Amino acid sequence: MNSNHLSAWEQEEYVLDQRTPQMLRHLTECDECRAAVAQLEHGLGVYRKAAVQWSAESLATRPQQFITASRQPVLSLRWAMAAMIPIVLVLIALLPLRTSNPHPAQPGVAQISTAQIRNDAGDDALLDQVDQQISAAVPSSMESLTHLVSTGSGTAAKGSKQIVQNN
Amino acid sequence: MEALEQLNYTGELSPLRDRMIAELEDVNTLCVTYRSRIYRYALLSLKDPDLAETVTQDCFLKAFKARKDFRGDCSIATWLTRIATNLIRDCTRSRKFQFWKTASSTALEAGDIADRLRSPGISPEASLVVREELVKVWDAVDALPDKQRSVFVLRFVEEMELPEIAIAMGLHVGTIKSHLHRGLAAVRKTMEKKR
Repeated sequence: MNSNHLSAWEQEEYVLDQRTPQMLRHLTECDECRAAVAQLEHGLGVYRKAAVQWSAESLATRPQQFITASRQPVLSLRWAMAAMIPIVLVLIALLPLRTSNPHPAQPGVAQISTAQIRNDAGDDALLDQVDQQISAAVPSSMESLTHLVSTGSGTAAKGSKQIVQNN
Repeated sequence: MEALEQLNYTGELSPLRDRMIAELEDVNTLCVTYRSRIYRYALLSLKDPDLAETVTQDCFLKAFKARKDFRGDCSIATWLTRIATNLIRDCTRSRKFQFWKTASSTALEAGDIADRLRSPGISPEASLVVREELVKVWDAVDALPDKQRSVFVLRFVEEMELPEIAIAMGLHVGTIKSHLHRGLAAVRKTMEKKR
């Protein structure tokens, strides 16, 4: 230790509570070293006070809601997973039955297949109707005009009817 | 590790550990007891209230999940601080954090903190002196490297003992002392320079 004053290292050691009897004895005698150490400690104290105050103010604006919020999703996810397992197992069990037996004996499955056939037939009829309407020479809204042409006299009217029919 | 050796309880560990694990089971009480401390450490390390809140939440969640792994060779506060230290380190390493750190040169000005510092019962002149002193120390601590700053905060804000800091940071006590001396030297120089 310096015989005159505490070195910077020794002052820092004092602040870090690594104090020796020589240090303490010197500080009781030396006003300059005491002032230097006190100033360093005061600066650290002000810093601590400001940090604690800032943190407390910042924390006060935040509601403490994370405890339930963080636990609920984990639990609900687990329950959902537990509920999904039997459903998936049933689906897996039914899959080979459906693929291996194309004509199933179960009435439920048969009802589904007949309903599907009816739907398919209905779709075919609708497609035929649309096809007829599209491929017709005269649209249904203009059919009345063709009557006028057919009932009219002269070859011009007949010719135009033929043109219309040919089209 | 030296710090671990110093806190190596042997014979009477089991009842103490059981009591600590029981404390860890009650997550609500755990949060009420340690939330402000962990949040403060995260806030001073990250300087971002939202990130600090996220780190605090993750810290308690991790602690709750890993409560069975708690060996009881340190206090719960130290163990939580260690978890928080790892989370803060992960956070500061992320690209997003680096970007925002660069984008906003100083997330919070020391003057803002100093302005809000309440010092009841002292004169305006003395208050001004305190304000200037705080700005100096705050700037000096802000300029420290991340690890040194964390050690500094744990010692001088959280008032932890050196072996506890060693466990929380995963470093030797000697390294912690070295970091603290460097931090203190920086603070002292800044205070003397601007005087």
